[in-house]
Amino acid sequence: MMPKSVKILVIDEHEIILKSISRALRSSQEILYDVTTTNTAIEGLKLVRNNIYDLVLIDAFLSGMSARETVRRIKNISPLTRVVYMYGHTSGNEIVEYMETGDGILLKPFNTEEIKSTISRILIA
Amino acid sequence: MLRNRRDEITKGINDIVGEHGIISVRILNHSGVIKFSSNEAEINKHISRTDELCTNCHYKKESESIYPANTAYSSHFHRDSNLIYTSLPIYNSPTCYNADCHESANNNIAMNNSLPKSVHDSSQTILGFIEMKVSAKKIMADLNRTRIELITLTIVIALLAAGISYISITLLVGRPVKKMVEGMQRVAEGNFNEEIPPGKGELGFLATSFNLMQKKLSSAQTRLIESAKLASIGKLANEIANEINNPLTGIIIYVESLINRSNDEEERRDLELILSQAMQIRDNVRNIFSGNVEKKPRFTTVDIMAIVRHVVSVLGNLSNFKSIQTNISTHNDLPAILADPEMIEQAIFALFLAFSEDMPTGGLLDVNAEYIEKDKKIQIKFMDTGNAIPENEWLVLTEEKGELPTTGTSKIGLTLFVFKQIIELHRGKIAFESRKEEGKLVVVLLPA
Repeated sequence: MMPKSVKILVIDEHEIILKSISRALRSSQEILYDVTTTNTAIEGLKLVRNNIYDLVLIDAFLSGMSARETVRRIKNISPLTRVVYMYGHTSGNEIVEYMETGDGILLKPFNTEEIKSTISRILIA
Repeated sequence: MLRNRRDEITKGINDIVGEHGIISVRILNHSGVIKFSSNEAEINKHISRTDELCTNCHYKKESESIYPANTAYSSHFHRDSNLIYTSLPIYNSPTCYNADCHESANNNIAMNNSLPKSVHDSSQTILGFIEMKVSAKKIMADLNRTRIELITLTIVIALLAAGISYISITLLVGRPVKKMVEGMQRVAEGNFNEEIPPGKGELGFLATSFNLMQKKLSSAQTRLIESAKLASIGKLANEIANEINNPLTGIIIYVESLINRSNDEEERRDLELILSQAMQIRDNVRNIFSGNVEKKPRFTTVDIMAIVRHVVSVLGNLSNFKSIQTNISTHNDLPAILADPEMIEQAIFALFLAFSEDMPTGGLLDVNAEYIEKDKKIQIKFMDTGNAIPENEWLVLTEEKGELPTTGTSKIGLTLFVFKQIIELHRGKIAFESRKEEGKLVVVLLPA
């Protein structure tokens, strides 16, 4: 069953993505989404250490620390936190590997409905 | 001597003196009288019994004699005079005292009563001695010269052998190896065009192998360059797609938000137009950048049953499909899956077409889907009431890595083989059932 309140962390270097996801989720009537955003993996890991998140949305192509390494560390710090990659490339080369390390994949560009349905599918599962 | 030719003996003695360091030669009888000598002045002279030649036997016990029984010769070196004295005893033997010459000698004796009757008595052991005086210095000089000659000859032979070996090795090994080294350097520099001339033997075989390797390297390099170009194009396309997709996400979500907040109907219509255009851009980006750069699935969110329905609606226009009853059902709500929609659509299209051809007089095509929550998988069963899969092909299809030949395989066999490959590309699993009376069953499991 989908919880009434969901705490989400978004890690993406693109400001437009951070703002868009915040706007899309905050507009929800049924579920209260508590959205925190950051544009670096290091800051994201600090936030995961100091807070308990239900779900992390992370860009698959971060500069600096790779997304997969960040996800591995998030899972070490907080094993129950679900992680969804946001994937903007069209190639299928790496997507299979992301499918194996994360809990789900959200293909860019996505709309409000796709974000919400992905979050609920991952959290209910 | 046996024939008593004294002149010849004298000449022989004179001839050998001077050769090989021989200083003098003389022949004595057992009484010590010098009968022949290279020094004529000493002929018929008597040597003292104290001479070393005599004392070797006469003043020593027999066991100490330098001429124990039948000794051939004896030599001793005089350090002071630097001379070697070699003496050869002349032993008496039947051929000596019975020889014709002795008889003739005896006859002469008989005629000349002043001479004794016999020359040698058979009881005599030693008749006399041949004594040679040899210069040790000359022998040593000869030995040194011989040694120098031997050393020189050895060096010359060694140099000749080394020269011949060097020339042979240079011609047979050095040059081919040098050419091979040059070839390797060329290859290391990336030049694959020049070949090493193939020779004979093992080096020739090596050169041929090297040329073959060079050809393969050249071909691999060409393929690598092509792959690198394709990979670069693919990477660039991905990066461009990512750069477009990020702002496009913002546009889509912001427009959606504006639509939700807008109370003005006209404004909403305008915003919806913007949204539909943004979605159109999304589709175009996916179509453009997921072009056939590589033959791998281009994953996107897919409603697989929507694809099934779409394929059925398209095929419904075909005449032989009109007599087929279709039944599409879902057990529960199905989540979207990540799949290549184009690939999946083509696979389902081919599957249904093959099914329909197996039911020329009509039949049932049943598609049933179910989301298995505990496995996070979607299970889809495709069934028909057509012919069974040929048994040999069915056996290959059920093998994990079984491959069907492109010739001689039935259309349904080939279709199922390609269908299986596409499902496996999507990390899915597939199973086949085939019964003569009940048709075919294809069960697909795809990760959701």
